[in-house]
Amino acid sequence: MTKEFNVLITGVGGQGVILISELLGEAAVKDQLKVRGSEILGMAVRGGSVTSAIRLGEDVYGPLIPTSKCSALVGMEPSEALRNITCLSKSSLVILNTAVTVPFTVPLGQSSYPSLEAILEKLNKAAERVIQLDAAKLAQEAGSLLTTNITMLGALFGTGRLPIKVSTIKEAIEERFPAKLAPVNMKAFDLGYESCRRALK
Amino acid sequence: MKELTITSDAPGERIFVLGNEAIARGAIEAGVQVAAAYPGTPSSEILETLAGVAKELEMYVEWSVNEKVAFEVALAASICGVRAMASMKHVGVNVAHDSLITANYIGAKGGLVLLSADDPWAWSSQNEQDNRYIALQAYMPVLEPSSVQEAKDMMADAFKLSEQFRQLFMLRSVTRIGHARSDIVLGKISREKRKGKFVKNRDWLVYTPREARINKPLMLERFDAIKKAVNTLPYNQLKLVRGAKLGVIGCGLSYSYTLEALKWLGIEDKVSILKIGTPHPLPEELVIKLLKSVKEVLVTEEIDPFVELHVKAIAGEHNIAVKIHGKDLLPRVGELSTRKVTEAVIKLTGAKSPVDFARLDKLAEETTPLLPWRPPALCPGCSHRASFYAIKTASKRVARDYGQDVEAIYPGDIGCYALAYNPPLEAVDTTICMGGSFGIANGLSHVVDAPIVAHLGDSTFFHAGIPPLINAVYNKANITMVILDNSATAMTGFQPHPGTGHTAMGEETVQLKPEDIARACGVKFVEVIDPFDLKAAAKTIEAAIRFDGPAVVVSRRLCTMIDQREKRKRKEPIIPYFVDQDKCSGKCNACIELLGCPAIIKEDGKTIIDQALCTGCGICAQVCPYKAIIEVSQ
Repeated sequence: MTKEFNVLITGVGGQGVILISELLGEAAVKDQLKVRGSEILGMAVRGGSVTSAIRLGEDVYGPLIPTSKCSALVGMEPSEALRNITCLSKSSLVILNTAVTVPFTVPLGQSSYPSLEAILEKLNKAAERVIQLDAAKLAQEAGSLLTTNITMLGALFGTGRLPIKVSTIKEAIEERFPAKLAPVNMKAFDLGYESCRRALK
Repeated sequence: MKELTITSDAPGERIFVLGNEAIARGAIEAGVQVAAAYPGTPSSEILETLAGVAKELEMYVEWSVNEKVAFEVALAASICGVRAMASMKHVGVNVAHDSLITANYIGAKGGLVLLSADDPWAWSSQNEQDNRYIALQAYMPVLEPSSVQEAKDMMADAFKLSEQFRQLFMLRSVTRIGHARSDIVLGKISREKRKGKFVKNRDWLVYTPREARINKPLMLERFDAIKKAVNTLPYNQLKLVRGAKLGVIGCGLSYSYTLEALKWLGIEDKVSILKIGTPHPLPEELVIKLLKSVKEVLVTEEIDPFVELHVKAIAGEHNIAVKIHGKDLLPRVGELSTRKVTEAVIKLTGAKSPVDFARLDKLAEETTPLLPWRPPALCPGCSHRASFYAIKTASKRVARDYGQDVEAIYPGDIGCYALAYNPPLEAVDTTICMGGSFGIANGLSHVVDAPIVAHLGDSTFFHAGIPPLINAVYNKANITMVILDNSATAMTGFQPHPGTGHTAMGEETVQLKPEDIARACGVKFVEVIDPFDLKAAAKTIEAAIRFDGPAVVVSRRLCTMIDQREKRKRKEPIIPYFVDQDKCSGKCNACIELLGCPAIIKEDGKTIIDQALCTGCGICAQVCPYKAIIEVSQ
């Protein structure tokens, strides 16, 4: 029985962060797991930072992941993954989409964006392992840039650590999308999954 | 098997839901027949969920013009014997406050529940008030859930309790309940349908001083009965551990953080715990039992020390010598967390910390300077950006005539447009409450000598903007009032309102126009502009500011998110703009520095437009001094 498995999904408004957590939650219920979670949106209708927690297992009560207790961090955007570094420990995995989204404050000269190397160095030091992914490229290969989040979900399952069955999450994806969109999402999932498997080899 | 939905009458089955959907489900299980609300984060999804199933379940659901009206709609139904609820964010309860206090003298006939969605850390609010204090003042019993499941169960029970004790109940949700996600086990749906019946009863319903004096003692009696009953409600649970030195009283969601903290520390079997589901009134017998059995007590609760103060009062009254901690070890500001409770418990017990918090804090401190600032921004194509550009252009022209150092003042309001306080727009000088922009502008006009240009959105105008507009006419306030009309309650999720022409249940209705209301209220200068025509818009706003007396400008353009959605439906192309690099100097940055549109970015020193983000509003093309920004189709 799963005691505690915590997934934190981080990104930017509009990247489909919440959809990932909804799919995880729906699949978890199908697999008879206890689920808790919550999202932090702030006032981010568009463009602001978004994080969403999904917690699975019998020992989970609160909706948010306590400091350092993240099992897997799904980083849809590098700097947003870094923003949540204190949720990591040496037993956490990070699945990182390397595509950068620069906030408007950078061209305005009000803040600066760190180099990808600096981000990776920090994350590598904090986590057990960082798995990098060009999710947008894989999504395009699957047929639509809009499936970037599903590619990341596939990669998350590619780690082999989730207490949810791959067949169950696929069922949840199929139920979620209209018949016409299900295949492209399924392909995106598989590409992400395989990409993560290869990285872990 | 058929897929389960929020209306499935499938007791015992599990579904995965948002907290606010669970609260709506609780009301559905109780057979609520009337639900009213005004949108406000983190409460909006409750009524949205109910509106979506209202016809199927034969309920009446409405988006009211404001929270006071919403509450009165529910109160009226209750008086007529029908189960009813009003849901609102914490500050919405302030708006309903006037009816609320007297409503408790009336009590409830049909079960009546007020859902207050408090927002610790003010994630999407102007303050983090603790509405249990409003409940205290109103003698209104409060249920506070520790989880999404309990929020659903409590909501269903609240209607029964309200009828049993003939009193209005509050369910206090918080952001981390309403916007949490969880599996829940469904209960049975009540199919009882009642017909409302109004019985004339002066003693009960007509509040002159006489009736206040008749009904207050009756209300106190009802409250005393509730005070006894809460000791045996399942939402309050005492777990005494023999020999425990520490007792923790966890209220609502804080109980969950507490359980998790004690497990993390590995001392869950060494501490006595009192779970509180009714912070008002407290289960006094259970509190006394705990206080007598331990040496020290820690109260965990979100925002203010409400339970803590009452526990201290109980200890004092019963002469129990026990040290009571709470907000001396836990913050009054922000949400609680497993970590915060863990650290408080470590201070009291000396238990070994499960992780090196200091190291993590140091890591956060080192990381923060690396991070880019990513504030939420007005969307690309947002009409407000254009309105603010026009407002500022016009105001600057007029301010010059007032004197060299004079700047226009921009009282602002609650909605997406509050985001314009960020650079580069910086067009919001005050944001206090719904309708506060026009009210503050009234006052400013009598004490300062500067152009005053107040602005609020269409939904906010209907909610609380009309009385201060009338006040400006009546008291001759020389102000400009701009109504940023994007035909949506955009910030909370595009709920319909009196200006949209349709109701919560999707019915067509009269479409009210702010300009008609302004004219009817006696405003002599009323103009409607299209903000996307920057020059004309600025010219009209300038005339409004120069007008002697209150002036109204309605800046009308559909919310870009709705506009794009509709265009996609119609299969109409969205034609973005691009920067002609031959004409762009790359150095003037006017488009970036004047507008702050997230679609305009810099790449290798070049100014470019992100084609995926650009909606083709064309505002940047109008401000570019080099005419370097052009439509893609050209």
